Amino acid sequence: MGRAVSKVAVAVAIVVIVAAVGAALYLTRPGAPEEVAKVELTGNLEQDIINVGKALQAAGISEVRYSVWSGGDPNSVMRVYGIVEAAARIMKIWGENGINVRISVDTNYYQKPDAVYQDFVSKWALNQAPDIMANGYVYIASLADEGYILDLTPYLSKYQDFLSDFYAPVLEAMKYNGKLYGIPQDTEARPIYISKEAAACAGIDLDDLAGKVKAGQFTWSDLFNMAKQAKEAGCVEWGLIHRKGSAHPDLIQFIYAFGGSLYDEDTGKLVLDKEAVYKWFTVERAFADAGLLPHDMMSWDWGKQIHPTVVNGDAFAFIGGVWHWTEWQTKAYYHDPQTGEDRGLRPEEVEAKFYYTLFPAGEPGKQPVTLSQPFAWVINSKAGYQNPDYDRLKDIYQKLAVLLVIKASDPDIIAIHSIISSHLPVTKAGAELLQDQGFVNDLPNLPTIRSDEVRNAISDIVERTANPINIEFLMNTTYMLEYTHFTPKHPQYPKLADLFADAIDKVLRGTMTPEEAVDYLVSKINADPDLKGAVEVVGEVPTGWQFPQS
Amino acid sequence: MPGMRDVEIRRRWVEVAIALAVLAFSLPVIIGYSLMILSSFSEKMVTGLDPASFQPTIQNWVLLFQGRTALFAGYRVDIWRIVLSTLTVALGISALVTLVGSLTGYAISRMKFAGRKHLMAFLILLHAFPGSVLVVGVAFIYRLFLPPYQYVHTYSFFFVILARASIEIPMATWLMKGFFDMIPWEIEWSAIVDGASRFRVWWKILLPMIKPGVAAVMLFGFLAGWMDLIYVRTFLAEPTLAVFIEHNANAEYAYLPLVAAAGTLYLLPTILFFLFAQRLIFTITVSGVKG
Repeated sequence: MGRAVSKVAVAVAIVVIVAAVGAALYLTRPGAPEEVAKVELTGNLEQDIINVGKALQAAGISEVRYSVWSGGDPNSVMRVYGIVEAAARIMKIWGENGINVRISVDTNYYQKPDAVYQDFVSKWALNQAPDIMANGYVYIASLADEGYILDLTPYLSKYQDFLSDFYAPVLEAMKYNGKLYGIPQDTEARPIYISKEAAACAGIDLDDLAGKVKAGQFTWSDLFNMAKQAKEAGCVEWGLIHRKGSAHPDLIQFIYAFGGSLYDEDTGKLVLDKEAVYKWFTVERAFADAGLLPHDMMSWDWGKQIHPTVVNGDAFAFIGGVWHWTEWQTKAYYHDPQTGEDRGLRPEEVEAKFYYTLFPAGEPGKQPVTLSQPFAWVINSKAGYQNPDYDRLKDIYQKLAVLLVIKASDPDIIAIHSIISSHLPVTKAGAELLQDQGFVNDLPNLPTIRSDEVRNAISDIVERTANPINIEFLMNTTYMLEYTHFTPKHPQYPKLADLFADAIDKVLRGTMTPEEAVDYLVSKINADPDLKGAVEVVGEVPTGWQFPQS
Repeated sequence: MPGMRDVEIRRRWVEVAIALAVLAFSLPVIIGYSLMILSSFSEKMVTGLDPASFQPTIQNWVLLFQGRTALFAGYRVDIWRIVLSTLTVALGISALVTLVGSLTGYAISRMKFAGRKHLMAFLILLHAFPGSVLVVGVAFIYRLFLPPYQYVHTYSFFFVILARASIEIPMATWLMKGFFDMIPWEIEWSAIVDGASRFRVWWKILLPMIKPGVAAVMLFGFLAGWMDLIYVRTFLAEPTLAVFIEHNANAEYAYLPLVAAAGTLYLLPTILFFLFAQRLIFTITVSGVKG
């Protein structure tokens, strides 16, 4: 009896499961899409926002959902909150025009932008990638090649005024194969910071040093001699400190400073410029051999060694970035000798401690440089896919994603991000706002921010960073963009950068001479079929080249 | 009598020596975890034996429960939603592993069918494959059953639970088989003679007799889900605690005392497991290997 009942129960269960699966398939079957009124972008942002809103409302949509991911230091959160704020502003416009559609934005912010990129790539095919991502422009090439992101060129054809407000080199970096795939979110320069206290202690005059660097009259040999002087006078423990781990991208400034190149526009290939790389390695080796640069520099810890050494005045020079200016104010790297506590520096203390200049020319006759790695908003080619009736309304959802990014480029959003994260503004309107005293004075109240979520997230850091010293720093470093170089937008570039890091570590530790390290790079490139096909090796290791030059 | 006394003394010395050796080998692990827990209550990471580096505060825990990732600004997360996602995955895997493991364990222990021995060997072989090796294949299966866009979020939870549970099921099956093997056949036989179905015998008679085994498999399944990183990061549409820690620990600007607090929170189920399941572990050691 019991066995018979069990069999009936199993049979019923099978019938129920089959029926449920059948019903689910029937309910989710693709139907013939109904026609939806097409929305053409006109270049008038407010009008386009209204048109998209009306189209959504007419299609019976009351709520749309987007997701945005980004990453970086804790001060750069406007890379996701910019879209949240843009959504709030678009909803305000809709509300004023009788459009009752709500936008909700899911955010995700990692501390490592490369992890965001990896997750975007791995989750794209799983239909879990975000609609919008802010990340390094270097990823545009691989994302565009795979068809993961939208070509924005047709969407922005009527937005020439909007595009022309971006600094031209930064906007150019967003293009790949002649098409625009990203909208600039921020950019940066990588100054050399010099300890004013160490210079004063060693009797070194820093007056107009930045001008001499700009004119190419002050080279890395001069910096070496200064650092040596400061160390020999007992003013500092180290003459030079730089990043650890990856050589990407601070140290490759050396290649440009020695007139080298990393990318051949004509062939579309990466370049290993043996002469420039050899000179870079020779400079680092000379610093290390003179006891000015730690042999284990590439293994130092950022929080425990690199930043504390720099902010506590134990290094004469530091190859840093503009964002460090506020990072030193918001993180407790400084050990206050008066109170014994570890704390962030005050703006006036950062100003009193650090002189900043372009990355000097490698040798006489060469140019000073800096390096930028702009962040770009990119839009998923399936943007809006989380929303109802996607197949029918795909075009409208994608256009709304584009409008969200355009709105997130409002001058005040760019200016606020620049101030709190110490990145350089990407638009002229954003840069002008930084000089607007009224805007700066009102900033702690965040009068232009509509979203409470954004206000709550950034109010404390705005209070901490929005002051004349930081804004003056941004204004004083913006000129560096005229000297900027970019890392190549080549899918194989990250691999080459890792090889550079490996080689420089061997040079600093003394396990390879600079020449051996160059040969090592060539052999590593030849051993990897992908790299071998992607990199052309040019030039020769110079004979008899000396550093420092007298 | 003096002879016995010598033996007792010798045994005590041996026991003391073994205890000291175990302590010596465990010390690095104990110190590591202790430093992490101390760091979660300190303004700076306590990474050495310098007492000055311990600066007591509960700020890290306050920040963690506020969902903050840095002292200033920083991204705000809903930490309770993350804990809920982690629990959903862990409990789902635990339930599935226990259900399937105890059913298959029963079948292999009690039923004769063609290919039984091969199946047992195959299960061990499956257990030998680390989950990371299977990720590409598992991603292919994910794509095969990909639902319409609006169901992807829910699907990702079901999928991760199924995929991760399937890695744990071979071991659970073997464990449960060992427990079923310990029960004399006569008990089951008398129930069947009384008219009970095999399913009823399994549910009403055998499972209550091997509660410790069921509990152990349940706990192992829970911990497998709780600690998983690869599958949840790859396939789940929501972050779990493991993913949250990974994203906040390994960056130049990471605020590590807060990460230590998250790590301590992440450790709690393991500590609770250790406190409540010691006896179960010993039972498994005795019974689980019985073929």
